[in-house]
Amino acid sequence: MIRIENVTKTYSTDVTALRDASFEVNKAEFVFLVGPSGSGKSTLLRLMSRQERPEKGGVWVAGRNIVEMPNNKIPELRRKIGNIFQDYKLLLNKTVFENVAFALEVIGKPKQVIRQQVPQVLEIVGLEDKADRFPHQLSGGEQQRVSIARAFVNRPLILLADEPTGNLDPGTGEGIMRLLDRINTTGTTVVMATHDQRIVNQMRKRVIQLDRGVIVRDQHRGVYD
Amino acid sequence: MFSRITYVFREMWASLSRNLTLTVAAVITATVSLFLSGLTLLIQEGFDNQLSAWTKGVRLLVYVDNDATPEQLKVFTDALTQAKAEGTVVKDFNYCDVACSVDVAHKLYAGDPTAIELYNDKTTPSFFRVIPVNQSSATQLNQLAERLHGLPKVNAVVSPDQMITTLSVLKGFVGVRSLIMSIVLLLAAVLLIWNAIRTAMFARRREIEVMKLVGATNWFIRLPFMLEGLVTGLIGGLIGGGALLAVNQDWTDGITTRFPANSGLAAFVATGSTPWSIALAMVALGALVGAIGSATAAGRFLDV
Ligand SMILES: Nc1ncnc2c1ncn2[C@@H]1O[C@H](COP(=O)(O)OP(=O)(O)OP(=O)(O)O)[C@@H](O)[C@H]1O
Ligand SMILES: [Mg+2]
Repeated sequence: MIRIENVTKTYSTDVTALRDASFEVNKAEFVFLVGPSGSGKSTLLRLMSRQERPEKGGVWVAGRNIVEMPNNKIPELRRKIGNIFQDYKLLLNKTVFENVAFALEVIGKPKQVIRQQVPQVLEIVGLEDKADRFPHQLSGGEQQRVSIARAFVNRPLILLADEPTGNLDPGTGEGIMRLLDRINTTGTTVVMATHDQRIVNQMRKRVIQLDRGVIVRDQHRGVYD
Repeated sequence: MFSRITYVFREMWASLSRNLTLTVAAVITATVSLFLSGLTLLIQEGFDNQLSAWTKGVRLLVYVDNDATPEQLKVFTDALTQAKAEGTVVKDFNYCDVACSVDVAHKLYAGDPTAIELYNDKTTPSFFRVIPVNQSSATQLNQLAERLHGLPKVNAVVSPDQMITTLSVLKGFVGVRSLIMSIVLLLAAVLLIWNAIRTAMFARRREIEVMKLVGATNWFIRLPFMLEGLVTGLIGGLIGGGALLAVNQDWTDGITTRFPANSGLAAFVATGSTPWSIALAMVALGALVGAIGSATAAGRFLDV
C-alpha cells in the first residue's frame, strides 16, 4: 500500500529531516512511528500525502510513485488518504455534521450521498446524537472523533494520524485508539505517529522508530522502547 | 453538479458579506473608475458630434466697408469667382449687400434697441459668405482668409478656424487627462479586488487547508473566490454604467432645454445607442477587472 524507498528530505541545507529511509506498509497494516521530537515522524506522514516532496528516493502510494505525480493528480491521491491531527483542524463555525459533510461536499459528492454517509460515519465514531453541536461544545476526545469521522467518511484506503492522542488524557486517548483499531480492522491501512508509550505498548502493533531522520528499528508486534 | 453550483454560490455570498467593508470599498472604487472611463468616452463622443456639427456649416465671412464702390466690390466678386473656378479652396460664395446685412444685424440684436440703432445703412458693412471646399481644414481656411484680407476695403475676415482648432485641442486635453485618470482608477480597482480576495482567502485559510487535505481540486477551491471578484467588478460596472446613463440623460436634457438648437453647444451630446453601448462596455470592463484581480489573487495563494 505504501512504499518508502531511500528517501532523503532536507528542509534547508542544515536540517535533514529524513536520511535514506526505506520501508513498506501492507494493506490493512497498522504502523506506529515513534522517536524523539524532531526525528522526522511528521515529515514522513507529509511525504505520504505529497504535502512535501523528498530530494531523493521514491514514495509509492496505492501502486503509484507520487514524487513525480503532476499537481492535477494530487486531489485524486488525497481522496484515498484520510488525515488526522493533534489539533483536530475542525472548522469552528460549522456543526459536527457540517464538518464531516464538508469533506464530501468539496469533492463534489451529491447531497443524497452526504445525507446517507455522514450519519453512518457519525455512528461509527459514536457521535450520532451530537451532530448539531459546534466544536466548542465538545470535549477534546469528541472533537478528535469528529476529525476521524471527517477523515474516514469517504472510506479512504489509508489513514495518516499525527499524534492523535497528543492533547488527550490517557483514558480518552485509549478510546480514540480503540476507534482507530476498529477502522483498521475494516481493511484501512493506518500509519500513526505518536509519543504515547502506554498506547504503543498496549496495542502491540508494528513499530518503526526514527532517530534524527534515520530508521533505527522496524519491529512487528513491537513496544515503545 | 447542482450541489457544486449551490456550494460555489453559497460560499461566495458568505465571503462577500463577511468582508463587507472591503467588498464595499472595492465596489465603490470599481464603480467610480468605470463611471469615469465611461464618462471619458461620452465626452469624446460629445466633442466629435460638436466638431462635425460646427464644420458642417463652416462659412468664411468677409466684411466689406460700407463705403465700398461697386468697382471695388467687383474686385471681390472677380477674385472669388476665379477661386471658385479653380475649385480647390472656394466651393461657392454669395453676397449680402448693405440692406441684407442690416437685416441680419437687426434680427441678431432683436432685443437690443441701442445695438439696432448702431446698425443702419450708413454704418453696417456688407459681407461675402464663402463656403470652403474642405470644411474641416483649418489651414485651408486660413490661407483663404489671408488672401481675401489683402484686398482693398476689407473690414474684417471672420473665420471659424479658431473655434475648430480650440475645440480639437480641448478634446485632446480633456481626453488624455481623463483617460489617464480612469486608467489609474481602474488599476486601483484591480488592486482593491485583489486585496479583498486575498483577505477573504486568508480569513478562510483553515477551510482551504482542509479542502486541500481531503482532495478538493484547485479549481473547486478557487472558484468561489474568483466568482467573488467577478461579482464585485460586475456590481461596480452595473452601478457605474447606470450612473453613466443617468448623467448622460441629465446632460442631454439640460443641453436641449437650456440651449437653443442653433446655439454653439447643442450638438455636445452623445446620441442614439452610443450611451448604452458605452454603459454595457463598462459592465463588461468591470467583470474583466474583477476577473483579473481575483484570478491573480486566487492563483498565487494556492500552490499544492
Ligand atoms: N517546514 C519546515 N521547515 C524547516 N524545517 C522543518 C520543517 N518541518 C520540520 N522541520 C525540521 O525537520 C525535522 C523533523 O521534523 P518533524 O516535524 O518531522 O519531527 P517530528 O518527529 O514530527 O517531531 P515532533 O515529535 O516534535 O512532532 C526537525 O528538525 C524540524 O525542525
Ligand atoms: Mg510531529
